[in-house]
Amino acid sequence: MKLDSIRLAVMNSRLAAIADEMGVVLGQTAFSPNIKERHDFSCAIFDARGELVAQAAHIPVHLGSTPLSVRAAIESLELGRGDVAALNDPFAGGTHLPDLTLVAPVFIGAERRPFAYAANRAHHADMGGIAPGSMALATEIYQEGFRLPPVKIVSGGEIARDVMTLFLANTRVREEREGDLRAQIAALWVGAERLLAIVKTSGRKTVEAAMDGLKDYAERLMIAALAELRPGTYRAEDFLDDDGFGTGPIPIRAAIKIGGGKALVDFTGSSPQVRGSVNANFAITLSATFYVMKCLAAEAVPANEGLMRPIRLVAPPGSIVNALAPAAVAGGNVETSQRIVDVLFRALAKAAPSRIPAASSGSMSNLTVGGFDRFRDRHFSYYETIAGGAGAASGRPGASGIHTHMTNTLNTPIEALEAYYPMRITEYRIRRGSGGRGRARGGDGLIRELECLVDSNASLLTERRTIAPYGLAGGGPGATGMNILLRGTRRTRLPGKTNIDLKAGERIRIETPGGGAWGRR
Amino acid sequence: MSAGPIVVGIDTGGTFTDLVAIAGGEIRVHKVLSTPADPADAVIRGLREMLAGMAPESVTYSSTVATNALLEKKGARVALFTNAGFEDLIEIGRQNRDDLYALAPSRPEPLVGRAMRFGVAERTLFDGSIIRLLSRAELARIRRLAARSGADAFAICLLHSYANPKGEESIARALAPLGRPLSVSHRILAEYREYERFSTAVVNAYVAPRMSSHLKNLETRLEGARLRVMQSNGSAIGPELARAEPVRTILSGPAAGVIGAASLARAFGVDRFITFDMGGTSTDVSLFDRRVRIRTLSHPDGYAVRTPVIDIHTVGAGGGSIARIDAGGSLRVGPDSAGADPGPACYGRGESCTVTDADLVAGRLVAGNFLGGQMKLYPERAEHALSRLAREMKTNPIAAARGIIRVVNANMERAIRVITVERGYDPRDFAILAFGGAGPMHACELALDLGIRRIVMPRNPGLLCAWGASSAPLGREYSLTVRETNPNYRGLLARAAGLVRRAHAELGAEGAAAIRHELWADMRYRGQSYELEIALTPRFVADFHSTHRRTFGHCAPSAAVEVVNIRIRAVAGMPVARPKRIARQVGKPTPVSSGRVLVGGRERTVPIYERGSFGAGARVRGPIVVVELSSTAYVAPEFTLRVDDFGNLQLEATR
Repeated sequence: MKLDSIRLAVMNSRLAAIADEMGVVLGQTAFSPNIKERHDFSCAIFDARGELVAQAAHIPVHLGSTPLSVRAAIESLELGRGDVAALNDPFAGGTHLPDLTLVAPVFIGAERRPFAYAANRAHHADMGGIAPGSMALATEIYQEGFRLPPVKIVSGGEIARDVMTLFLANTRVREEREGDLRAQIAALWVGAERLLAIVKTSGRKTVEAAMDGLKDYAERLMIAALAELRPGTYRAEDFLDDDGFGTGPIPIRAAIKIGGGKALVDFTGSSPQVRGSVNANFAITLSATFYVMKCLAAEAVPANEGLMRPIRLVAPPGSIVNALAPAAVAGGNVETSQRIVDVLFRALAKAAPSRIPAASSGSMSNLTVGGFDRFRDRHFSYYETIAGGAGAASGRPGASGIHTHMTNTLNTPIEALEAYYPMRITEYRIRRGSGGRGRARGGDGLIRELECLVDSNASLLTERRTIAPYGLAGGGPGATGMNILLRGTRRTRLPGKTNIDLKAGERIRIETPGGGAWGRR
Repeated sequence: MSAGPIVVGIDTGGTFTDLVAIAGGEIRVHKVLSTPADPADAVIRGLREMLAGMAPESVTYSSTVATNALLEKKGARVALFTNAGFEDLIEIGRQNRDDLYALAPSRPEPLVGRAMRFGVAERTLFDGSIIRLLSRAELARIRRLAARSGADAFAICLLHSYANPKGEESIARALAPLGRPLSVSHRILAEYREYERFSTAVVNAYVAPRMSSHLKNLETRLEGARLRVMQSNGSAIGPELARAEPVRTILSGPAAGVIGAASLARAFGVDRFITFDMGGTSTDVSLFDRRVRIRTLSHPDGYAVRTPVIDIHTVGAGGGSIARIDAGGSLRVGPDSAGADPGPACYGRGESCTVTDADLVAGRLVAGNFLGGQMKLYPERAEHALSRLAREMKTNPIAAARGIIRVVNANMERAIRVITVERGYDPRDFAILAFGGAGPMHACELALDLGIRRIVMPRNPGLLCAWGASSAPLGREYSLTVRETNPNYRGLLARAAGLVRRAHAELGAEGAAAIRHELWADMRYRGQSYELEIALTPRFVADFHSTHRRTFGHCAPSAAVEVVNIRIRAVAGMPVARPKRIARQVGKPTPVSSGRVLVGGRERTVPIYERGSFGAGARVRGPIVVVELSSTAYVAPEFTLRVDDFGNLQLEATR
């Protein structure tokens, strides 16, 4: 059964609506600010083969990587009616430990094989490990936190108590974890229910044809987008500052070969994996490539597996872009993913100079603070990312203080943060003058300063502190970021990646990088 | 008109200003061209023509003045006073971008430029304690800055002012002698989440001077009639509050439409319905479940505004939406629109194939009757546009037309799912109230897709907004962040006492009698950060658990519950007039002509009726087409049409 242009549009709308609806349920019922206020999650529908057919992605970094999680779950578990698989293992389909993915099979009637899968992924504020937030400076995955290969967290519709107990025992804020997990499960049920409702009204054959047809459709749109680019091989490199353990700068190199509506993206020549946590596993590299390609398409391309068919990805195993166990990977997801995007756009700028923007801030400036809150008599773990400047494009200055590329998480309102955590924000403003200078100026970064009201432990996982975001077409680079510790009147510059103990009254000041400029002045 | 006080409702639209007057049992309607340069001109002229010298007792109107000031960026020069170190908060917003995959993300320009944002030495905490108090010297400095700023309006926004408004109030006192409108964040909205509260205050300051001079002008010219302005939440306020807090009126027009629909629907006994207002460039849908549903956050033109608005969901698709085949071979309808000029291909100027062209080719829009025959349509141009598209789709024009209708309906279906299923409702429990130029043409098939069995197409749909304004109650809605865990009912009532006093006093001052109020609580489990709105009654905790279960599929009766905000909604009823009855149908209705109409998947000859020829009680089975001045209705074969006592078309699914 082949889908005509009409059914294609109708089914695209219906399947995307399911993913949206799952997102609404997850966002509204979760407990942690990270999921609810910052929307650090995504929801998706997969076909019987485990291929992505529709996704409500609030966070681009989830886009290409969720399919690998679903396939890992399908391959390693026999998923029956009422089962839900959970996993976060970066070496078995995950990305980094805080991102917990849940997968539920959807069955029609009494059939024995799943008709489709519903899945979602949410960033949990803590997954155990040596520091609150599980984004610490680590050298092995074992230090980063609790590693969950695909397991059944729900079995036959009942929560698997033993798995849940084991999981909760390994995280710092149990109640919140359990609430978030339940919200994830509720969203899966909604997805399954809605999918079955469509099967009932439109017929199974139509839905199956739609799932295939939508992938083919995305593929055609992608081929059309690639055909717009001048054929040739385009190369670029960029660097991560360091791994937090003395290795750096760390090169990432890419060659993109464009021609015949296809692209070959080859990362050969990139650095071997490193000791610190900036290693990206294959899922991350795939996501970043997915994102860049989706940006290139002028039309809105449905987020599904067909999008990647015209693109071949080569990422040498054991390298910084395809790290192998037991590498530490927490920063690969949040930082290295941004640098991979920078490298790919830098290469593509040669193919489409007037379209591609200069580098954006290139760091999510991750900050995690945790400890014991003596005012509220409980442990706490708080995580946030801080936006930077966007890169300028031809004729368009970059926006300031805005999340770019692989993330789009909201800030936590100051009035919420101060009411629930022993912290106070003492300054929050745009870092004027940090955007690159040129014909079109880069966007400015942000300044965020926070004071700890109790003794706390803080982890910083930040980038672009030594190597600046590049400008394009002769435009200047954005300013590098800065992390500062304020003890009384003493200011100490902190490294880009560090873990420190803070006394009550001490402050951390993060100044995030600006975006690069476009064009000579 | 008969004796008794005359109550008038007015809607100022982009093209027409509609008026409805009610006195005793009598109703008069009137329509004049709008006067965008000064909307008051059309209001005054319309009143004079309609009432012929009689003086109205009250005039309630849905104003576009605040909205247009914002959309056209013709607002005031505003100076913002906020905590030092946080001057950029309104520019940073929530640090996110709207379009994930835009190569160069952008966001709207802040309404207050950087040079007009002044930091002040003050800091209050979440529990209301003040760790940095505004000194006298600082207040004097603030007044000097304000005086020198050249601003026409001031916004005062301090962190945690919902918990303790002292800082904001001292600045307000310091600036009051300067005699310019003040927008004080906690007065407009005493809720936590600083960006949304600040942004609301800034938008308010931005539109205040224009609204103020407009209302002053209008009040003078009304010569004693009580002036009332529709708020975005569907109730009306007096000119004093509308001047101080014009941000409350920013979605005044659409709100009036929903209130009008509700008042009509009540007359014929439907209290659960979905409004489906499909116009030229966009479509508004909203859900009415015995009462309007209120949302507390909206983003007019990209600026966050946290004031209560009727929960209306807008889709960027309507009759003018352009259909095309994209690079991947899918039919896309919208978001590009041919607008009114050049408009759809059948208007005779443009070439774009639009939804209206598809409706025309499908026979659901009758060329000779468009706008009562005042505007000529060119069916051959629509056919030409459709054939071009059909060739790309490798099909015939009629199949292409059917495709366009199906695809645009799928967009509408998705919008209706957003306001029903996503909010815990089953669309099948509701009727569709279809209006707007294209609503009645698309309602049947949309209803079939959603499993909805009842559709109402109101009489005089163009007057719904004015009708809504005439029947809107006076109202007040205020809220306060309390953030209490496991609170008791009495304690919350005590905290609400201030809100209750304020609402009653203000309504009383506007001449309201018979004031009723309801209290609500925004509740969540401790640790969540999204709240459900629950009526504050002695059983509010149990209601919260059950609402949580209904909305999200689970609840946790043993978990700690937090009340974040409390809210008062107070209204004072207005005399509600029933719409005019129409004459009974005599004999069987007779069609005026017939046409080839797309029914399901094929063309059939279908009778065409004139709406005006129907009497009350007339009954006809689909498929038929019904024409009237402002729109055309298509009744699918699955439905039977019945005309009610007020001339509304009631469609009931018979299969």
